[in-house]
Amino acid sequence: MLKENISLSQLITLVINFLLGSAIVVGVGLEAKRDAWMVVIAGFFIGILIMSAYYFLLSLQPGKNLFEIMEICFSRPVAVVMSLVYICYFLYIACRVIRDFGELISAAILPLTPIEVTVVLPVLVIGYILYMGIEVLGRTSEIFTPYTFAFMLLLFIFLYGSGNIELDNLQPVASTGFMPILKAIIPSISVFPFGELIAFTVVLADVTNFKYSRKVSLMGVAIASFLLLLSVFLIVTSLGENIALRSNFPLLSAARLVSIGEFIERIDALVVFIIMLGILIKSSVFIYGGLKGLEYVFNKPYRFFSIPVACIVSIFAVFISNDFADHIKEGLYVDIFILHLPLEYGFPILVLATLLFKKWRKDRGSGKEAKA
Amino acid sequence: MKKFLKKLLSINSKKQIPSNTKPTKAEEIEMKEISFETVKDEIKRIFGNTADLKADDVLVGKSEAIIFYLDTVINTDFLKDMLGQTLESPVEQDFKITSEEELRAFGKKAFGVSGYKLINTISEMTETILEGRIAVVIKGIPAALTISFINSEGRTVSEPTTQTVVRGPKDAFVEDISTNINLIRKRIKNHNLQFEKFKVGNETRTSVYVGSIKGVVNEKILEEVRKRIKDINISAVFESANIEELIQDKSATVFPLALNTERPDSVCSALLDGKIAIITDGTPFILLVPAVLTDFFISSEDNYQNYFMSSFIRMIRYLSFMIGLLMPSAYVGVLTFHPELLPTTLLLSVIAQREGVPFPAVIEVFIMEITFEILREAGVRMPRAVGQTVSIVGALVIGQAAAEAGIISNIMVIIVAITAIANFVFPNYSFANASRLIRFVLIIVASILGLYGVLLVLIFMVAHLSSLRSFGVPYLAPVAPFIVEDQKDIFIRTPIWFQNKRPAYLSPSSTDKQKPQGSPSPPKQTKGGSGD
Repeated sequence: MLKENISLSQLITLVINFLLGSAIVVGVGLEAKRDAWMVVIAGFFIGILIMSAYYFLLSLQPGKNLFEIMEICFSRPVAVVMSLVYICYFLYIACRVIRDFGELISAAILPLTPIEVTVVLPVLVIGYILYMGIEVLGRTSEIFTPYTFAFMLLLFIFLYGSGNIELDNLQPVASTGFMPILKAIIPSISVFPFGELIAFTVVLADVTNFKYSRKVSLMGVAIASFLLLLSVFLIVTSLGENIALRSNFPLLSAARLVSIGEFIERIDALVVFIIMLGILIKSSVFIYGGLKGLEYVFNKPYRFFSIPVACIVSIFAVFISNDFADHIKEGLYVDIFILHLPLEYGFPILVLATLLFKKWRKDRGSGKEAKA
Repeated sequence: MKKFLKKLLSINSKKQIPSNTKPTKAEEIEMKEISFETVKDEIKRIFGNTADLKADDVLVGKSEAIIFYLDTVINTDFLKDMLGQTLESPVEQDFKITSEEELRAFGKKAFGVSGYKLINTISEMTETILEGRIAVVIKGIPAALTISFINSEGRTVSEPTTQTVVRGPKDAFVEDISTNINLIRKRIKNHNLQFEKFKVGNETRTSVYVGSIKGVVNEKILEEVRKRIKDINISAVFESANIEELIQDKSATVFPLALNTERPDSVCSALLDGKIAIITDGTPFILLVPAVLTDFFISSEDNYQNYFMSSFIRMIRYLSFMIGLLMPSAYVGVLTFHPELLPTTLLLSVIAQREGVPFPAVIEVFIMEITFEILREAGVRMPRAVGQTVSIVGALVIGQAAAEAGIISNIMVIIVAITAIANFVFPNYSFANASRLIRFVLIIVASILGLYGVLLVLIFMVAHLSSLRSFGVPYLAPVAPFIVEDQKDIFIRTPIWFQNKRPAYLSPSSTDKQKPQGSPSPPKQTKGGSGD
């Protein structure tokens, strides 16, 4: 198997698009209403923390990804079982991300097209990209990222220019006390989107300059947090907290307000396309995580699995829930405690502890030998 | 099944070729194995009953000799002169050639150091005769003297027909390979510029030269080019496109993976950047590898104009690429699925124009685009004499009559016109063709899925582009993978004194093009010195 590499600039774009991905679709921290910006800022620190932790975990065994590290920590049978769990988890999140997007498409731009169609096409594109390898994913993301930035900036300028931004909507700060904010920080934003960086425990192993990848990925987290902050700021200031909380796709609703010179109007269809790139990258990274897991379990190049897995993901993105309300509720109340917390925080901590313990024992052992 | 087919084919081929017209083969016979008298028969046997093979008995000094040549390939005037002056020269009649050494000395004396070549086998002799040399076989000597008399008649160097410039050199390559190399050598007077010769094509034996500058080019890529050209197994090569198809990294793509140009200055600047030129005999188009996508947006004139202007024009090229690719599909997508994207007044005027049109937008676009493609193809293929007719009919059909008849709307005419013109902006024709094809895919998808489908196809296209490689160099370099140092001549053209490095994506052997220097500026005034 040829070793593929992605460059640092590709890594940073992957991290940014990954974090923006579906977070920008459904909005983050809006449970804290007008204080959502504080939630995002807190999320930024959590993101920095967890990214450093994942990097630290990988740096103990450079060049190895999560699955191979699990084998080092435990035995192969245990690692295979846990890999299967993670594969299912990654693919499940990929399904959820795609479903978010499918709902968005059918709500915003193609109301008459069945969701099966809107979902299967992007997933097949992802399948093609991953068949070509992680390098192609990195380059694709690199090409499109400037457009994401440009669109976000334009949206900001347009909203500001059409006079929709009202800073009063942010006041008063923390009017209902800090509890709602804390609740939105832990667990909400720390598992979605920042905890989902767990997928990068697979991707980071493919970076050319692993040494610098810590700095770069943290920078990515910072930029993404800034863009999220910008989006939350736009949503709350232009829509006001009540509409923001009730809207299914708050950024889209905000974009609908844009009206400049009776020429630039109804640009929500364009906003969908910013979102689309993020979604594509995010689910690609998750599916890549799943594929790498399959590669580890079956000892076959991951390319073989890419198209079949893409088919599975597209089917389950449809089957995963009955309707949008069901889908969101599952994400908010079920996944967090059953899947996200144990798999994003619990198990990695266990792996990290085991690795550190093994290392400590080895160091002590070698220290003794040196003494003797 | 396969065996059966093979059998069938072999029977057929046996039937088709009667035994007396079987192709002959020049065998590896040494000249000394064959007597002077039988050489003639052997050569005649190999060439069969072709009319232009001549085998004349002559006297070289006092020795008996035969000269072989194809009178259609060589310059017969030169031959007459030579026969009179050197071979049967009355002044030096009394010498006799008896050994190979004497033959060599005679060749050197009579034709100069490089004019003659001694060969020892019949197959070599056949090949040299085909190349346009004459072969002199002298009785009693197991070698033949061959002298070049190639008739290099062909087009003279003239202005380029495909890549024209307003300001810049006006010469273009021609079909003759030595003229082409001469044009390059004249521009780069450097001993490190080297050309390696290959013979490609089992039947045509076309000369292919691989040119590169030693110390600049990446040796690994050069080695790969050599390997791929050696591996070519094809019967005929008539154009560099044949070679391009056989050496590209991936064949399932619409994008050109080698840059072709007929401009010597483009080739020279590419060589100095560390690229490799593949020069094929018989065509004015030279291949430059490795090629990246951004190369197709760069015209050699960019360097001959003010750099602000060049940068602006380059932006226009990228923009027109997007317009040429997206305009019709965006029209279909917006009109069918997202009319709200258009400002109300514009939407109203578009709808008012489309009122009498009996087709849905996608059919309308298809009618016009296909009509345009037909006109365009007719414009390229038609005999020059009827050109006027086609262009008048085309302009009338496309422009006026169709719109007046109410078959299509006026805005459609505008869109097709803009698309067509945007497609002609490319400095390189083969890249424009790629976008022509993708445009049709986009129109179909836009009619089914709207702008969503268009974006999906675009993402697919970018993914495909980023999976392409040209001789190992990523096709989207230096944008993805992003290389900061190479951005000086990609989207904008920076001043020449600022571009001191060769493109890093080619990983050239030496990265520095020239010494870093500042902007040219007037002499500094000394302190206190006042102007006159």
